[in-house]
Amino acid sequence: MYALEIDNISKRFGNFYAVQNLSLKIPLGTIYGLLGPNGAGKTTTLRMIMNIIIPDEGKIRVLGRTMGEDMKQRIGYLPEDRGLYPKMKVGDILEFLGEIKGVPKNAMPGKIDYWLDKFELTGWKTKKVDELSKGMQQKIQFIVTIIHDPELIILDEPFAGLDPVNTKLIKDIMLGLKDQGKTIIFSTHRMEQVEMICDNICLINKARMVLEGNLAGIKKQYGKNTILLEYEGDIGFLRNRPEVEKIDDYGRSAEIRLKDKADAQGVLAGLVGKVRIGKFEIQEPSLNTIFIEKVGRSEQ
Amino acid sequence: MNKIFAVIKREYFQIVKTKGFIISTVLAPVIMIAFIAVPVLLSVKSTGEKKTIAVVDMTGQVFQEFDRTLAEYKMKDESRRYTVQEFRPTAEISGLRSLLSQKVLVNEFSAYIFIPDSILSGGEAEFVSQHVSDFDEIKRLSESLNRVVVGLRLKKEGLDPQRVSDYMKHVGLKTIKVTPQGEKEDVGGTFAMAYVLVLLIYMTLIFYGSIILRGVIEEKSNRVVEIVLSSLKPFELMMGKILGIGAVGLTQYAVWALIGLVMSQYGMSMVTSLVPAASGIKFAIPPYIFFYFVVFFILGYFLYGTLYAAVASTVNNEKEAQQMLMPITMFLVLPILLMTMVIKDPSGSTSVILSLIPFFAPIIMFMRICVLMPPAWQVALSIGLLGLTVVAMVWLAAKIYRIGILMYGKKPSLPEIVKWIKYS
Repeated sequence: MYALEIDNISKRFGNFYAVQNLSLKIPLGTIYGLLGPNGAGKTTTLRMIMNIIIPDEGKIRVLGRTMGEDMKQRIGYLPEDRGLYPKMKVGDILEFLGEIKGVPKNAMPGKIDYWLDKFELTGWKTKKVDELSKGMQQKIQFIVTIIHDPELIILDEPFAGLDPVNTKLIKDIMLGLKDQGKTIIFSTHRMEQVEMICDNICLINKARMVLEGNLAGIKKQYGKNTILLEYEGDIGFLRNRPEVEKIDDYGRSAEIRLKDKADAQGVLAGLVGKVRIGKFEIQEPSLNTIFIEKVGRSEQ
Repeated sequence: MNKIFAVIKREYFQIVKTKGFIISTVLAPVIMIAFIAVPVLLSVKSTGEKKTIAVVDMTGQVFQEFDRTLAEYKMKDESRRYTVQEFRPTAEISGLRSLLSQKVLVNEFSAYIFIPDSILSGGEAEFVSQHVSDFDEIKRLSESLNRVVVGLRLKKEGLDPQRVSDYMKHVGLKTIKVTPQGEKEDVGGTFAMAYVLVLLIYMTLIFYGSIILRGVIEEKSNRVVEIVLSSLKPFELMMGKILGIGAVGLTQYAVWALIGLVMSQYGMSMVTSLVPAASGIKFAIPPYIFFYFVVFFILGYFLYGTLYAAVASTVNNEKEAQQMLMPITMFLVLPILLMTMVIKDPSGSTSVILSLIPFFAPIIMFMRICVLMPPAWQVALSIGLLGLTVVAMVWLAAKIYRIGILMYGKKPSLPEIVKWIKYS
C-alpha cells in the first residue's frame, strides 16, 4: 500500500493548465518533497489531494482508498495560505479546529496541552491569536495540522517565514513523525531543506512533472561530476579549461560542472599556485543545480 | 453533521459573547421603551405643582363658576391644584393691574387672569405670568374658562348648556376590521405593530446579511479558510456560518419578545395608571402574524444570507463588496419604498404580483398578511416560490463560494463567476 497514489491527474482553469498528467506514488513512512518554482502547480496538486479542488481527470488514492470527505480526518494539511481567527483564544481555536478534525472531546485538553508544551507555548493558551507573534502563530498552525494524529501529513511551504530556530524545531518534529511511521509530503522551493530530510522528490514545472524519484538515486544518476570549490583569488581562467562544462561562481566559492568523463585532477592542478584553495570537493551536483538546470531546460 | 454543528457553535458564541451583542440586545428595547415612557412620565410629573392665581373679573359673573370648575384639578393628596383669589375691580383698573403684575413678579401669584366686561359678547381674557410657555397648563385654564363663559353666553340666550354640549358632541368614526372570525375593533395598535415587524424583518435581513458578509471576508482575508476546509466541505462551512448567525438573530428576537411580553404585562398597566387615555391603545397581535413573521424571516434570511455569503466569497475586502451588494440592497429597499402603495391597496394586482416575486416576498407578502389576509393560495404560492428559490440560491451560492473562497487577487467579473458555476 502507498500513502498516496496519484494517477494521471489534470486540472484546468479556463485554458490554463495548472496541473497536467501528473502521476506519482508515495510509499508509507517516507518524507516526500514536492519541488518547483512559483506557479508550477504545487499548491493546486496538494489542494486536489485534499479534495478542496476536484481534478478534471485522473484518480487520487489516499492510504489505499479513493480520496473523499471521510478521509480528511486521517490527513493533516497545512495550506500555503494559512491564518487563524485573530479574535479567538489559542485554546478555543485549537479546540474548534480539533473538533472538526474529529478529535474526541475528552482527549482534546490533553492533546492541546501536550503540543503547546512541545512548542513552548504553554503560557499562551488563554491569549488571543492577534496577541501572538507571527512565528508563534505559525507554530499554532502546525499544531492544528497534527493535533488529530494523522497518518498522512501534507505541508505546503512549511518553513516559509520561519526563523532558523523554529525551522529546526519543525524539522525535528517532522523527522520524529516519520519515525512514528507517518508519511509526510511537503512542498518547497528551498533546496537545502529538501536535501536534509527528503527520501523522495518530485520536481514540477509549468504544470508538468519533470523529475521524480529517490533523492539519492537522482543524484547518483548525475554522477560525481561536480567540484565544490572554496577559494580566494580569481578563477576566471578556468572557463578556458577543456574539462569544464559550466561554472557557477559565487565570488568566494564556486560550483564547477565537468564534462562527461572529464578528470577533476586536471582542474585541481590548474588551480594550484594561482589561487588559495580552502576546499576542493568532488561530489554529486547539488539539488539546487539540478533544479535550475531542469527548470531552465523546460523553459526553452 | 457534527462538523456543521461545531461551525454553528463557533459562529454563535463568537457573536453572542461580545459586548456589542449583549449591549444592543438588551439596550435596544430599553431605549425604545425609554422613548415611549420618558415623555409620558415627564408630562405626568409636571402636573405636580400647586399654583395660586389671581383673578380680576370685570363681569362679576364668571369668577364663582370658574373657581368651581378649576376645583376639578386635584393634587395626589386631594388638595386643590389651582387656588384662585378674586380681586374686585377698583375704579382705577390700571392701578390694580400693575399691582398684580408686581405680585406676580415676586411670585406671590404664579399668574393673574384678567376677565374683561366684553367676555360675554365675544371678548378675550388675558393670562399674565412670568412664563407663558407651559402649554398644557394654559390649555387647561383656557378650557375651564371657555366652559364657564360659553355656558354663561348660552344661558343669556335662554339655552341649556348641557343639552347644547350634547348636540355639539364630536362624531367619531370607529375603525373595525372584518376577518373570517368576525368583526373586531381595531384602534390602530395592530397595524402599528405590523409596521414595526415589517421594518424589523427589513433591518435584520440587512444587519445579519452584513454580519455574514464580514465573517466570510474575514475568514478569507485571514487565510483561515483553507485550514478549515481541510476538515470539512465548503458547503458545510458556508451553511454552518449562515445557520450560526441566524441562530444569533433568533436569540435576539427571543430576548426582545421576552422583554416585550414583560413590558406589556407590567409596563402597560403602569402607563395606563398614569395616563388613562392610553388604555384605548391595544397591542394585540394575532398569533398568526407572529407565525408568518418567523416563516418569512427565516426564508428571507436564507435567501439573502446565501447571497451575501456568495458575494463575500468573491471579493477581497468590504470595499469591493459594496459595489456588488448594490443590486441585493435594491431588492431589499424597493419593497420598503413600495410599502405605502401596498398598504393602501393590498389586494391590487401590483401588490399581488410583487408579493409572489421571491426576492420581495419576505417583506411584501408579510406586509399584505398584516394589512389584509390574502387568499390562502397566494400565501402558499408565495412561500412555495420563495422556498424553491432558497434551495436554488443555496445550491448556486455553494458553487460560487467553493471557488471564490480560495481565490485571492483580482475581483472576478460576472462572466467569470458564471464560468465558475459551470466548472464546479
